Amino acid sequence: MQYLSIKKEEWDKAIEQLLLSYTIFAAAENEFGIDYEVVNPSNISRISYNKAKPATSLKTFFLPVRENVTSDPSLKRKRVIIGAPNCDLQGLRLLDEIYLDKDFNDIFYREKRENTILISFDCFEKQEYCHCTAYGIKPWAEEVSDLAAVRLEELILLRVNTQRGQEFLNQFSHVQSLMDENAVTETDKSHIQAESLLVGANKGLPDYMATGIIVKNAGEDIWKKYSARCVSCGACATICPTCTCFLLIDKPGFEKIKQMDACQYPGFQRVAGGEDTLHDLHNRFRNRYMCKYVWKPEKFSAIACTGCGRCIEACIGKINKNELFLELAK
Amino acid sequence: MSAGGNIYKPLKAKLVEVIDESPLIKTFVLIPEKEFSFGTGQFIELSVDGIGEAPFTPSSSPHVKDKLEVTVMKTGYVTEIMHNLKPGAYMGIRGPYGRGYPVEVFHGKEVLILGGGCGLAPIRSLLYALEHIKDNLDKVVLCYGSKTPSDCIYKPLFSRLNSIEKFEAYRTVDKAEEGWNESVGVVTTLLNKVKVNLGNSLAVVCGPPIMMKFGTIRLLEMGYRDDQIYLSMEKNMSCGLGKCGHCMMGEFFVCKDGPVFTYNELRNTPDIWK
Repeated sequence: MQYLSIKKEEWDKAIEQLLLSYTIFAAAENEFGIDYEVVNPSNISRISYNKAKPATSLKTFFLPVRENVTSDPSLKRKRVIIGAPNCDLQGLRLLDEIYLDKDFNDIFYREKRENTILISFDCFEKQEYCHCTAYGIKPWAEEVSDLAAVRLEELILLRVNTQRGQEFLNQFSHVQSLMDENAVTETDKSHIQAESLLVGANKGLPDYMATGIIVKNAGEDIWKKYSARCVSCGACATICPTCTCFLLIDKPGFEKIKQMDACQYPGFQRVAGGEDTLHDLHNRFRNRYMCKYVWKPEKFSAIACTGCGRCIEACIGKINKNELFLELAK
Repeated sequence: MSAGGNIYKPLKAKLVEVIDESPLIKTFVLIPEKEFSFGTGQFIELSVDGIGEAPFTPSSSPHVKDKLEVTVMKTGYVTEIMHNLKPGAYMGIRGPYGRGYPVEVFHGKEVLILGGGCGLAPIRSLLYALEHIKDNLDKVVLCYGSKTPSDCIYKPLFSRLNSIEKFEAYRTVDKAEEGWNESVGVVTTLLNKVKVNLGNSLAVVCGPPIMMKFGTIRLLEMGYRDDQIYLSMEKNMSCGLGKCGHCMMGEFFVCKDGPVFTYNELRNTPDIWK
């Protein structure tokens, strides 16, 4: 892979400079873990490079929890998001297919997408439930993000993934070609280590296609067994980088509020006449997996589960979908 | 299409007339602020300002561009408020959405239509469209069932249809009242009266889920192939845009891939009758 480089000190200064023209969000470590923070001069030093995913998925920046979709879609300031992991970027590919489709282009999504520069981080670590590699996703990005960044001691290494990334980088005066072969070797080594760590931890987990087949053929018993601890809180869908269902709420003046929704909530598919295909808890529970592994793949080219593992982390019933899949794969 | 490129923004339409069809069903005659076209069987999202929005298939002719009729059964929160609206009020419309009836496929065919309850609303629009191409059709037969004679909607429609060459219309009720001299029994019983040329016939079913289910079963028994039966599916289409997820039925977005499907497309999809 080709890299450019900039001294960490210069990079931090450049970010501070960018604050004049952009709103910047970056993955930073706090007492609870890693999550996105609004960048200001005092937290630039806390930006956490090379780590695994932030707690919040990237979709939140493009699909806010609540949004007036009859108002002016324009963003007040252009944005830069630093630290998105590849799992979330792959999730964004699906969001693009859904919200930027040719028939019904969502101008609110488009405005945010067009005015946001994405700088991804390579993951050199894994969290407990990370399993991107099981679904063919690398823990580093070669597409979707405009730039990808790696920290190597006091050096920031950058890969340019898009033309927009190249143009954005032209604002930085201290970026150079990376001549140090050792730095490249070191980074390549870290990639391989991270990948084998993920592969090793998820041995036996069926791949994306195989999961689709076992989910489709699974009997009712397994859905009942695993949904017994589900309380329909919708945390799995809320935190998921690819769950994008929403509800339109009417406000006076023919205004519409688009609010994120989840198929795990009772009544999600209920019609006025009372029929409700997803009335039973185990059917709602199954629906989410059918959607991700069976139905979405028939409609979209982007993957609908990126193996980020957040749904497992977020579940208050401690339901682990990977345990379910391993049981089905037996 | 929606105003100003914003897919969520409704077009305002003035309510000019409210027609009582039955104790629970009214037809709303609307004049949209801009010309509004739809294909028969496509649906719109109709909203009451500040209250809510629900999907309906217009019951008027797709050839009329300046006026729109929507027939609404009082079923839930939004429709109850709709029923209290008076002429002069403004409503919101988005759409048209989805895949309607493939009228071009009906050319040269005979069309057998099975309708139940408020399911006659989309069918009335289809009948207008079929009347428009009647020279190219073999025959159109409508079999319609309602609970009681007073639940039967579009009462003048039946005598009018029976006066049109190539059109036949039959009615039945589950429970007769005094003065009713037509059929009694579920809608499928009307099929015993109907002669069809199976090889050249297409069937359309629209009504409550239970009627759709048994109607389809009966048509299959009569010898209709899966791809000769068109079903108009009803789900909770919230956005109409293939995005919000509420109307997913297997891999299909009913709002975008439907609401009209052939039974052939849906036969392997579970829970279609719920």
